[in-house]
Amino acid sequence: MDLTLNVNGRPEKFAAAPNELLVERLRDGLGLTGTKVGCDTGQCGSCVVRLDDKSVKSCLVLTVAAAGSEVTTIEGITTTGGELTGLQEALRQEHGTQCGFCTPGMVMALGELVEATADGEAPTEPEIREWLTGNLCRCTGYHSVVRGVQRACAASRAEAPADSAASTAVAQEV
Amino acid sequence: MTTVTGETKEVTEAVETTETAGTTEAAEATEAAEIAETAPYGNGVLGQPLDSREDPQLLRGEATYVADINLPGTAHMAILGSPVAHAKILSIDTKAAEQLPGVLKVATAADFTDVMPLPCIWIPGGVESHFPPHPYGLPGARPVLTGDAVRHVGDPIAVVVAETPRQAAAALAAIEVAYEPLPVVTLADEALKEGAPQLHEAVPGNLNAYWTCGDKDRTDAAIAVAEVTVELDLVNQRTINSPIEPRGAVGDYNAATGEYTLYASTQGPHNHRFLLSALVLGIPFNKLRVIAPTVGGSFGTKGYLYPDMALVLLLSKALGRPVKWVDTRTGLMNSTVQGRDHRQHVVLAGTRDGRITAVRATSYANLGAYPSTIGPGVATALMGRSISGMYDIDAAFCEVYAAFTNTVSLGAQRGSGRAEAAFLMERLVDRYASEIGMDPAAVRRKNLVPKEKFPYDNGLGWTYDSGNYQLNFDRAMELSDYAGMPARKAEARARGKRLGVGIASYVAICGVGPSTRMSKEGMLGGTWESANIRVHPTGEVTVTVGSASTGQSHGTVFAQVAADELGIDPAQVQVYEGDTLKAPYGQGTYGSRSYSMAAPAVALTARKLKAKLVKAGAVFLGVPEDKVVYEGGKVHEDGNPENTKTFAELAMAMWYGWGLPPEIEPALDETTHFDPPDFNYPFGTHVAVVEIDELTGETEVVAYTAVDDAGNIGNPKVVLGQIEGSIMHGLGQALMEHAVYDENGLLESSDLTRYALPRAFDAPFFTLGKTTTPSPHNPLGAKGAGEIATVPPAAAVVNAVVDALSDLGVQHIDMPVTPEKVWRRLRGEAQ
Repeated sequence: MDLTLNVNGRPEKFAAAPNELLVERLRDGLGLTGTKVGCDTGQCGSCVVRLDDKSVKSCLVLTVAAAGSEVTTIEGITTTGGELTGLQEALRQEHGTQCGFCTPGMVMALGELVEATADGEAPTEPEIREWLTGNLCRCTGYHSVVRGVQRACAASRAEAPADSAASTAVAQEV
Repeated sequence: MTTVTGETKEVTEAVETTETAGTTEAAEATEAAEIAETAPYGNGVLGQPLDSREDPQLLRGEATYVADINLPGTAHMAILGSPVAHAKILSIDTKAAEQLPGVLKVATAADFTDVMPLPCIWIPGGVESHFPPHPYGLPGARPVLTGDAVRHVGDPIAVVVAETPRQAAAALAAIEVAYEPLPVVTLADEALKEGAPQLHEAVPGNLNAYWTCGDKDRTDAAIAVAEVTVELDLVNQRTINSPIEPRGAVGDYNAATGEYTLYASTQGPHNHRFLLSALVLGIPFNKLRVIAPTVGGSFGTKGYLYPDMALVLLLSKALGRPVKWVDTRTGLMNSTVQGRDHRQHVVLAGTRDGRITAVRATSYANLGAYPSTIGPGVATALMGRSISGMYDIDAAFCEVYAAFTNTVSLGAQRGSGRAEAAFLMERLVDRYASEIGMDPAAVRRKNLVPKEKFPYDNGLGWTYDSGNYQLNFDRAMELSDYAGMPARKAEARARGKRLGVGIASYVAICGVGPSTRMSKEGMLGGTWESANIRVHPTGEVTVTVGSASTGQSHGTVFAQVAADELGIDPAQVQVYEGDTLKAPYGQGTYGSRSYSMAAPAVALTARKLKAKLVKAGAVFLGVPEDKVVYEGGKVHEDGNPENTKTFAELAMAMWYGWGLPPEIEPALDETTHFDPPDFNYPFGTHVAVVEIDELTGETEVVAYTAVDDAGNIGNPKVVLGQIEGSIMHGLGQALMEHAVYDENGLLESSDLTRYALPRAFDAPFFTLGKTTTPSPHNPLGAKGAGEIATVPPAAAVVNAVVDALSDLGVQHIDMPVTPEKVWRRLRGEAQ
């Protein structure tokens, strides 16, 4: 069926088979290969994207079910200048990625958590670990990722009122 | 060459990761302060926790993995794996599949009769062994597609190439195969019994090899007269490595030039090039180019040769189009090499007062249905020669029966061999301590190899290069507050929890390796490593290595090595690897070898360049060579710092080559092939603290301390990440991971809903410390680091669980330590 999807702020019109997965459309149809596929059962989280602001596993969403929605992929939060978002920068400082395959999914899933922090309570370590439940990583043992989130949340809270650059960096993830 | 003293330096502060990011920063500062001691040359950039330069690209999702490669005109391959574990193939009918939409080709073994089987290149050393045949007289592994019989679920039978991945997958279902079922065997010890199902004609009784190391008579005699002996039957269960990126391959044949290009998720592109061209396809070496794009983790699995690598090349040639294959998770679990899988009977003998006198292990190793590229060597030498661990034991012996069964091929898994060895030894030590009523820490301390005995011959084939095990062990006891455990146990008991503490020490052979030594170990090939450094006319530097990263930040760390040696800014240095057309030969990244094999090649190459610059500097400065000082990336006249040339000036002058005497070649471009005199032996001590819920049997790791010694470290931030990830990997085996085959050989745990991997909430932050004992076997004093911390966690956790249940008479519990197993033991049920 013919449908429209807003992907990274651009309307994309195409015909999709009823059984097409959103991740197939993103990777194969639109060439957005930053979103990864690591399993067949919705377990690994490598394919997480934002669907109308909520982070979802794009291998568990049918393209037709996403029709009319706003989809943001890892490509949608990166700038052409090569700067990193606040979360990406914090993860870089903590070396929260090794092989990098799970990383785009992690960044997309964690962005939602970090954004919520800017004007709320900073998540506790157990809360961060709970939030990461849907993302598997085999390289880091997760600790550097958790430290990265702690760093990002601290930066976002400390700098949000005074430093607009930091809040902009976080806002870009929307 | 730098003098390496072999002295262990204790860090003044541990790297505490128990607190917040702020604490980690403080720890980094402490480590940075050590650099002056560990790097006596260069500009000190080596040893600093520089941010990984690979990270931004990864964090932005811009790295290209093999699944992201889409060449124009690509067709897609899918593989039909056997649904049954053992059967004769009576017929294969592909006609219906060929008629389906989008299908370009369906192929079976009959299409590839001139293709050789994938060879096995690490055979059990020094003993008679049996393999399926290879036409070159090598041990053969497996055909690219099987035609006569299937030997495990997932055994590749046919392939479909179609316009889209979905069309290819759909057509698999239309291939009709008629099977005559054969009896199935999935356990190594069962496979060796009289009357067991037979897998290969050339391998009578399924026995690949009976392999031993150590002194049997001496060991048996010591056990016979011992005051105390303890025995255990252990199952080191089969596990699945599970990199998050499944494997993939793209083949691209160029009919005009006759050249093949393979893009593959490989940790050893040069090895794959050699094995595929010479020993499988039978094509000239220089007609095959192998490119490793960014690789999404490996942990041992992606150094092996797999049928799909040959198939995409053959089918690309047949179809005149690029052919791409990307595995699924379930496909990976039924095709990519699996780990561990030893069933063992182990014995330790000692005195009443805690002196270990002998250790003996009998192990049945399950090689799976076909020998993988290096699986048989992993299952024998890496395990057997490592069983005595950190201990000074007078008599030791290990025997391994390596057998074929109807399961996926065995290979390396992070810490392979050494983890199995540490598990059996550390379980035995705890069992012995319990038997003689001594504290497990006291028994260990009493038996550690003394500092003055290095280099230490362990009697099993390894000569430990350097170490200070007492310092390392004591540091772990201190950091974990081992002395405070009785109070913690009492406090936990008051909360209705059983607290247990478990220690595991280890020595992990790394730095494979000395090629001649490895040949005696049964390795059919060299195991050296290489690096090229080219200095460009404007003073920038390109380092190209034969190694290939699967997430180890080679681009960062090798740049640090070159920059440190040359005294230049690491930002000037660019690192390339992974493309056999561009890189010097190398064996790849495995066994934690890159920093102690490839990095020394980089350092030695930089030293050649420096030596050349000193010679040339004499010309450019107009002074005798012995008056030229190379310092801080410049040369100057000794005693006259005004007479100087910068690195960039020298680079340009060498590019022009004007005024050079005949004995100095122009340009700055050097290569080194590094083959070390022996292996290196990192070591460490880990302490796990677990709490067991009396009601549910759940085991929670509440504290974990690790003190590892990886010699001189190039980038502490990178190594910290590897240590943390390695521990988590080991905790996975201890608590949840298990490749379960049913009696029909069906892998029950064939996707991630049924094969559990550790998730973020499965462990708290770790407490990490280190000691530093440089290795004398390479110019950096480096030892392996990437996987070493995977070696002890399984033993530490099981020791802790047994400790927590010891008042119930529990002497051992098999991995994975699931809530059900613990719950049953809490109720007095036997194992």
